This record gives sequence, C-alpha cells and structure tokens, in this order.
Amino acid sequence: MTESEVLLRLTGIRKRYGGVQALRGVDFDVRSGEVHALVGENGAGKSTLIKIISGAETADEGTVEMAGQRLSGNTSAALDAGIATVYQEPQLFGELSVAENIFIGRELTRGPLVDLPTQRAKVDELLDRLGLDRTLADVRVADIPVGEQQLVSIAKAFSHDPKILILDEPSAILTDREIDTLFQVVKGLREHGVGIIYISHRLDELSVIADRVTVLRDGEKVAAHPMREVTIRRIVELMVGHVPAGPPAGHRVAADVEPALEVSGLGRRGRFQDVSLAVRPSEVVAVYGLIGSGTGPLARALYGIDPADSGTITINGQPVSLPTPQAAARTGIALLPGNRKAQGVFGIKSIAFNISVAHLHLLRRLRLWVDRRREQQVATDFIKRIAIKAPGPHTPVNALSGGNQQKVVLARQLVERPGVLVLEEPTQGVDVGAKEEIHKQILALADQGTAVLVVSSDLLEVLELADRVLVVRAGSIVASFGRGASQADVLAAAAGDESGEGTTLDAARAAVSQEVESR
Amino acid sequence: MTTETQTPDAQAPARAGRPSPGSLVRSLLEDRVALLVVLLVLLVAWFFALSAGGYLVAPYDLSYMASALESMVPLAILGLAQLLVIVSGRGGIDLSVGAMVSLVGMAFGFAYGEWGWSFLPALLLALGAGVVLGAVNGLLVAYLRVPALIATLATYYAYSSLALISNDNAPISTRPLQDLNSITRAVDLGGLAVPRQVFTFLLPVAVVIWLLVNRAPYGRRLYAVGTNEVAARYASLDVARVRFTAYTLSGLLSAVVAVITAAQFASARPDAGTVGNGMALPAITIAVLGGVAIAGGVGRVGGVLVAALLIVWLNAGILLYFEGSQGSQYQLFALGAVLLVSALFNALVLRRRGAT
Amino acid sequence: MSAVATTARPRRVTARAIEGQELVLLGVLAVLWLVLSFAVDTFFTASTLQDLMAAVAPVAIVGVGMTAIIVTGGIDVSVGSAVAVAMVVVGQLVRDSGLPFLPAVAVAVAVGAALGLINGVLVAYGRVHPIIVTFATLNLYRWLAFQIFGGEEVNNIPGTLAALGGGAEGRTAGLPNAFLLAVVLAALMWAYMRYSPTGRHLYAIGNDAHAARLQGVRVTRRLVSVYVITGVMVGLAAVVFIGGGGRIGQAVGTGFELQVIAAVVIGGTSILGGRGTVFGTVLGALLVGTVSAAVTLLGWPSELTALFIGVFILVAVGVDLLRQRRRQSL
Repeated sequence: MTESEVLLRLTGIRKRYGGVQALRGVDFDVRSGEVHALVGENGAGKSTLIKIISGAETADEGTVEMAGQRLSGNTSAALDAGIATVYQEPQLFGELSVAENIFIGRELTRGPLVDLPTQRAKVDELLDRLGLDRTLADVRVADIPVGEQQLVSIAKAFSHDPKILILDEPSAILTDREIDTLFQVVKGLREHGVGIIYISHRLDELSVIADRVTVLRDGEKVAAHPMREVTIRRIVELMVGHVPAGPPAGHRVAADVEPALEVSGLGRRGRFQDVSLAVRPSEVVAVYGLIGSGTGPLARALYGIDPADSGTITINGQPVSLPTPQAAARTGIALLPGNRKAQGVFGIKSIAFNISVAHLHLLRRLRLWVDRRREQQVATDFIKRIAIKAPGPHTPVNALSGGNQQKVVLARQLVERPGVLVLEEPTQGVDVGAKEEIHKQILALADQGTAVLVVSSDLLEVLELADRVLVVRAGSIVASFGRGASQADVLAAAAGDESGEGTTLDAARAAVSQEVESR
Repeated sequence: MTTETQTPDAQAPARAGRPSPGSLVRSLLEDRVALLVVLLVLLVAWFFALSAGGYLVAPYDLSYMASALESMVPLAILGLAQLLVIVSGRGGIDLSVGAMVSLVGMAFGFAYGEWGWSFLPALLLALGAGVVLGAVNGLLVAYLRVPALIATLATYYAYSSLALISNDNAPISTRPLQDLNSITRAVDLGGLAVPRQVFTFLLPVAVVIWLLVNRAPYGRRLYAVGTNEVAARYASLDVARVRFTAYTLSGLLSAVVAVITAAQFASARPDAGTVGNGMALPAITIAVLGGVAIAGGVGRVGGVLVAALLIVWLNAGILLYFEGSQGSQYQLFALGAVLLVSALFNALVLRRRGAT
Repeated sequence: MSAVATTARPRRVTARAIEGQELVLLGVLAVLWLVLSFAVDTFFTASTLQDLMAAVAPVAIVGVGMTAIIVTGGIDVSVGSAVAVAMVVVGQLVRDSGLPFLPAVAVAVAVGAALGLINGVLVAYGRVHPIIVTFATLNLYRWLAFQIFGGEEVNNIPGTLAALGGGAEGRTAGLPNAFLLAVVLAALMWAYMRYSPTGRHLYAIGNDAHAARLQGVRVTRRLVSVYVITGVMVGLAAVVFIGGGGRIGQAVGTGFELQVIAAVVIGGTSILGGRGTVFGTVLGALLVGTVSAAVTLLGWPSELTALFIGVFILVAVGVDLLRQRRRQSL
C-alpha cells in the first residue's frame, strides 16, 4: 500500500480519571484509505482514546488534528470535521425502515412531506457504495437480525460522508456470514479513501482486514506496525507485555472425587455448541473468552436463565434439567450475574434486602414472616466478612460504590454455601481493592468445597484464580490450560491463532473426555 | 470489554443512613407519610376554623369526621389493591377493580339475597369469586404478558357487562340484604359514632396487607420484582407467580369491598363499582397520592391509608362548604388537583434524587 | 463491486398499504357483516348502515388522535371529560347566542385544543406518566363541564350542527357527513404519520425517546403536538355529538375514553408505543360499532356489547403478541 496522506493525527495524548492515568502520552494517526486496528487488553485505554477522537472526552494534554486543523474537544466539532463513530449497540428505531433510520432528524423534504424518492435514491447509492443489498432500504429495522442492524449503523454513519470512521467492536455480535459482509463493507469504504479505526478483540480478523495495527498497554502505545509485518502471536505478546501473573493462589489439590458440576455436549442455538466440562468440589475452573464468544450465554444456561437446548448437565452425579433459575437454585447452583446494575442489585433497597431476597425460605418464622433480626444479623456478618464499606445493613445499595455493590450481590450467593458457584465477570468495573477482596472470597469458598466456575474476559483474573482455564471461541471450547499457562498462549487461543503452541482443540476435547471417563 | 471502567467506582461516597442538619424539611420532602400527615393536620385545622367562623352549612367536627369514615372504607381497601399491583411493576395497574366490585357484589347478592345462603358461605363465595376474577387478570398480565392497562381494560368491560346482564340491569334488594345494612351500623366510641365496618373490615384488611407487604416473604418478593424484574429473576424468584398473586389479591380485596358496598347500599347493585367514573379511578388516585410510584417497587401501606383519610376528610369538608350538587362537583376538582400536584411532586422528588 | 446478498430469506417490507393486523380486522369485519346479513334482514339496508356509520364517527375521529398519542408511548383518558366540556360550551352558545355553524365548529376545536394543550404540556414538561396526568385532568375537565352546565342540562338546541348529525340533512350521497369527516381526518393523519418527517418521528419517540432526542428529534414539541391534535379531534367529535341532536346531559362523554382506547388497541396499535396505524383504528372503531349495532339488531341485551368489546380487545392483543413472538424467533 502506498503512503497516503495522514488525515487524523493525535500527538502526546494524556488523560487522567481521578487517580487513574488512562492514557500516558499516546501518538496515533490514521491515513486516508487505510484500516488501522487498535488493540489492547481491557483497561489498556482504547475506549478513552476513541472517546477523545470522537469528542466525547477532552484530553488533559496533547492535540487532535484533522487534516492539519486542530479539533476542539466536542462531538459536533468532530462530526463536522468528518469523524463518525459506530458503537456496539445499534441506535436504530425498529418501526422505521432502514432508509428512514439513515435520515432520521435530517429528513429530505419536498413541501411538508418526506421526499421519499430522493431519499431512496441516496440510500440506494449509499448501499451500492457499501456493497449492501438495495432491497434493505425499505425493510423495517425490527425485521432484520441484530447483525444486519450493525451494518445499517455503519451505513448510517457513512451517510454523513465521514473521512474517518470508528468501528468499535463491530464484529462482536455478528455471525460468520455477517462478518464476511462487514469486511466487504469495510474494504469498500477503504476504496473510497475513508480512514477506518477498527477496534476488535478478535485478532484473527486483523490479518484479513487491517493494514496497520497499534497496540496499547496500560495507557501507552507499545507498538505500531504494518499488519503484514507482524504475526498474531507477536501482537498478543505486545498486548500482555511481561506482566507477571498475580500471586499464585494456594494450589488446591482437587479431591479425586465425582465432579460437582459436569456438562456434556451442551448447546444453545446460535450461542454456543457442544460444550463439555467438569468442575470438582474445591476446584476453580475458568472459562475464558472474548466478548461475543458465547461465554455469557453459557453461564446463563447453567443457571436456567436462557436454558440450553441440547446436551446434559449433571450435578453431583445426578442428571438435572434447568429450565428456570428456581430449578438451578434448588440443585445448589448459584450465579453471580455479569451485569451488576441490570441483573444484580435492587438499587433503592437496603443491603439486608439485597442479600436476603434469594433466601427468604431460610429466614421464615412459622412460614409466615421474615425473621428480621436474623436478616439483619446475616447482613451485618457479611458487611464485616467481606469488608463491604457501608454504615450498616439498612443502607440502600445505590449509595455504595460499584465494588461494594458487587460485594453485596456476591454475598447473596454465599448465604447458603452453594455446591456450584458460577461467576460471570465477577470483577468487571470494580476498583482494585474490591477486586482483591472478591478474589479472596472466591478462593476461600473453593477451599470450603464449592465447585467454582469463573466466566471472565479478564485474562489476569482468569490466570490468577483458576486451576484450569478453558478457552472458548465462537461458542466452542477450543483449548484447555492447566495452572501456570502463559498469558500469551491463552490469549492467542482465544483470539484465534491456531498455530500457537498451546493445547489444541483436539487435545482439549481428549482431555475432557478423559476426565469424564476417569471418574 | 470495550467499556473500560477507568473511573474509579469508589468515588461515590457512602452518604446514606446518617441524619443531617435541617433534615426535617428533607424528610418531609422524601417521606410521603410524614408529608401527608402534616397536610392532613393542616386540612382538618382549616376546616375547623371555617366551621368555627360559620362558613360551613353544618359543623365540621369530630362526629362528622367519624361518620365520613364510611366512604373511606371501600376507597382505602381498593387503594391497597392498587398498591399491590402497581408495586409489582411493569406498568402495573388494575382498571377492573370497580367492575369486580359490581360483579362479585351481584354474586354475593344472589347467594345471600336470592338463594337464601347464610352470611358466611355467601361471604366465602364472594371472596372466591374475587380470587377467580383477579386470577384472570393475573394470568393475562403475569403469564401472557399482556400490558396491564389493556388486560384490565378488557376485563373491566367484560366484568361490568356480566354484572349488568346477571340480573337484567336490576339491583337485588331482598330482605336479607336490607337487614345486612346492620353490619354497617355505627359503633359508639366514647360519644363518637364510628361506622362499624371500619373495625370489622378496614382495620383487619389494613393490618393483614401491612403484615403481608412489610413482614412476610411475599412482600419482599413483591418489592424485588417491582424494583428490578431482571435482578429478581437472577435471584431465583418466580417473577410471574409474584405478579400473578398481586392481581389475584386485588380481586380478593375487590370482593371485600363488594360485600361492604352491598351492606352499605342494603342492596346488590349491578353498577355498584362502575357507576359514574367508577371506583378504579379514585383508588388509583389514592395510591399515587399515597406515594406509590407508577414505575413499580415503591409504595407504603401507611401512605395509602393516610391518603385515603386525606381525600375523605377533604371531600367531607367540601360537601359542607358548597351547597347542593356543587359540593360533589368540587370533589372531582379536588381529586384531580390533588392527584396532579402529588404526581408532579413525585416527579420532582425523583429528579432531585436522581440529580444528587 | 457486486452487491452482497445479506440474507436469503424473504423480507417483510414496510412499504405496504396494509399491515397484518389490519388484514385480520378486515377479515373479521367481513365475516361479521356476512353473518349479520343472514341473521338480520334489515342489516344491509341504508338506514342501518347509515346509523352504524354515524355512531362510529366520533370514536373514529378521536381515535385518529389517540393513535398518535399511543404511538408515542402515551395515553389520554381525559377525552371523555374533554368532549363534555366542548359540548356544553358549544351547546350553550348555539342555543343562547345562536352561534352559526362555522364559528361553532371553530369554538369546539379551540376548546378541545386548549384542553389537549394542558395535557400535552403536563406530559412533556412535567415528566409525569401520561396516564396519571390524564386521570387528573379527567376529573378536572369533568368539574369544569359541571361548572359550565351550572346544574342544568342543555336542552332545545337548534339544528345548527345537523349537517354533522345522523339525520337526513347530515348526509352526502347517502353517507353521513360525520363519517366522511372521520374518513378525511383519518386519511390526513395517515398521510402525516406515514410521509411527513415529524409524523415518522412519533414512531421513533415510541421506540426509544432518549435515542430519538439524541438524533435531533424534538421530543417535547412532538409530545405536546399529539395531545393538541387529539384535542382538536375532541372538539370535532363534540360537534358531531351535538349534531346528533337531543339534550346534553351532565354525564355526557362518560366512558367515551375507554371506547376510543378500545378501538385503537383493537386496531393493532401497541400500547407500549412505536407501532400502529390510523387505518387500523378506523377498522377497530367500525368493529366496535358493528358489535354494538349487532347486539341491538339481534335483540340481545345491550349490556352484552361491553363483554364483546372486552373479548375483542384480548383477542386483538393476543394475536399481536403471537405475531411479535414469531417475529422475534426469526
């Protein structure tokens, strides 16, 4: 590729949030007609950088220049300068057609009415340029799959005639075929001289689509290379650096007993398939996968939220069916949900309420009323035991920090020590202190004999906690690692580098079946 | 994850649970029951003053206030029914309570007034009918997930129609029903004649609902489902059953009101709960005035009871201030104005809370 | 570059004249009329059909506005009381001051619009749930009507407005003018909601008001406008009611709001907002009117009408829920 003009140039960007230095002097540029991939681990600073480019945040230091013009940090200035962003969640209106969605708020009119022919012609032209099917224009957005809605979002962003287009994890929710379409669209944009910033966790995509790659780590730019000069393996190494894994947790010897949780051939259409795994009492098994890899749906299936449609689940040797969360709870499974705000807390209610709500059958007197003294006692105990920073059990959960809210939700899972504890992203969005405390509790629970399954996209967390790590990609377990696996191996397996020296798919399957047989 | 949470969550200070200076004003703003009690005292004092000044057509005194409690009984009980369904969340509301009062009242009227059943079996029949009618609402709303407004609008039509058809649009006022009026006779309470049903119906119902909502496991589940339905599911609660129960209880409470109304009128009227604007509207008004949030998860029994008392004594005062039919018309005005002001006030308090 | 085939399965296309629910309704109406024509000799006579259309008109007219409100995710239960206010004001003016036709219509529309404006402002700026706001104004407007009535019914109203009534002078080419007015208003509203930018914005608001605001939709202005439009329709319905003749009793309009909402819901508009058409509402009003007429013609107790309306609401919502579920499982 010939060197074309630099459209967007960021110089020496620094940004601090409270006590956290999110970006430490990052330089970044995008040329016209190139796809520039931006990669990095969680917390490396990608989102902050994107927010600064799109004007949603202002840098503390450094400059953002578009075609030599310095940009003031606000969204409309960025839009006017030709920077458009496509976020992960499409912001579309289901009842309006694709064409109407593209023009909402700035409809072309003839007299009092929408000028449908002109609008339609422009949309046709737009869809042609993106290589999308013209018949899409008149379809109601509610009638197309989420994946295609993502493409519509891109078309909408493109209708602003952007010079720079930011795609934030565009492939996370797409099926393979939709990803093919996405790539064709992106290539089409590149041919039109648009500079594209492409953020993705799926590194295997980068060799197909990206021209250059910039790697961020801990708010610093650690490398920028033309894509053809680096391997995925090398990118992974750059991403994780040489951070030592957390202090190895006391190595527990999992008793050579029947697994507390055993899953075989489990699947849910369109989400994950043929998942087999076993967790023994006192064992911590992690399921590691990137966003959209199917780990979340797996956790939800194990708790009966969105039940699996194939395969078997066995608890302590007994086959069980888990059509509802109540059924799962009865078999002794507990789930720490992944989205604290939406799925975890009852915000306006007290800590005591939040902890006791799932255990009212234990706190009943004469089956009639709640034993409030014991309820307070339980809550007070937990506040001490897991160091919830709160004045008392009556404090509403809304008044707590994210980390302490997460501890409250965790406490709810610990009231009756569960036989099997599934944790989905247990420390997402919590501060370091709370993270440590939560990890401590998870390990303590395992020591008491609970079988723990951690579902997480936080690599360091997975390596720190787990006795075994199962890597999921595209809904299937593709690799399995024991204690002491290197970050690079695990990440490479999750990101789709199959040449890596980690355990291969077949070996992982063999290991699982061996495990099943060995009991 | 792309949402890198670099903003430390620990910033949000734990600030609740401690008293602050000047907290009286704030607690009045945030504690609906306290606010309503203050309003109630002001209202009564004002009418006493008007009465003393001779502005009223009849004296507004304790005995008048006591007799006015008669109209509070059905209103407060149906307000509690709305409390249950509105707290259960997802746009909870029950427009059919008035129609259930009519239809159950007719069932009771037939059993007690026509078929010669004794009181207790007839009462049980009425309560059972209320449970069934409420369960139909619950089935539609909780299990079939029909929006509550539509489901109960439909059953409002169906139930009120059945009530009218059941006896060709005619009331049942046979001898047993006329005699039943005795259960609404006043009790002498140190010189004050208080309607008997306050003690035989309202207080027991209020206590039971208060215990259910504040002390029983069901209450916890109800508030959990109304506050955050998804989290309730993740906490292994049977969301549909909790909501179904709320609508069923609303039917049961409507049945209680049906029997009281039949006794008060000394007849079972096919439009007892649906005549005019019906009973549903005032009941919803009282629930909202009592601080029940239309979004679900928030509301207290005490608030509903004080709100009912406020409306009833306000209405009683209005009747004495205006002559003739003007009085009942101004009651409409008062109901609408009070509802609007309290809802605007609710929104303001919520916004203030959201902003801090 | 060749076009990429995104999906192979057949598409549902927006640019259709008729939605699924409307087809179902048309079918139900056709069957109902067919059955009635066999069961009642007099059903397919001019006078029966004229009465039916005249009776349907006010519900359809206000339903036209109510559809827009419900599409934005709102509701207006105060229309019954608002109709009463407009009727008593215009009724007294026509009787006592001899107000001619056009000024009478103008006054009715102005009164309706003013009451709608109050609802709209409270909903859009007060951020109170529309059902609470309009429950409150239902009471307030009823009180207002009582104040204007002054304790008396309005009797002996001259036939100034008979051109919109159900009588002989209220017809053009055999069709009741009121029904023609409803059809014209529905057509205008249909075109507005389908082809004008602000009309399309109503659907966007119902889908996601917050996202709509972010994308340049003037949400508060649109919300106020739909309540005002409904107010205008209330004024016109009031004129039609007066034109129908007879006295104006104090309880006039009571329960009217439920009839209107039932017509809208039966017509396939989602009470959750974002979906629905005026055409469906007109069909819903026709269905409700037909059921009411049928019960009378068949000599059944008129109280049965409400039962049928209730059942039709549930069937309509049930069909809609089923179709949505099928759509989601695609």
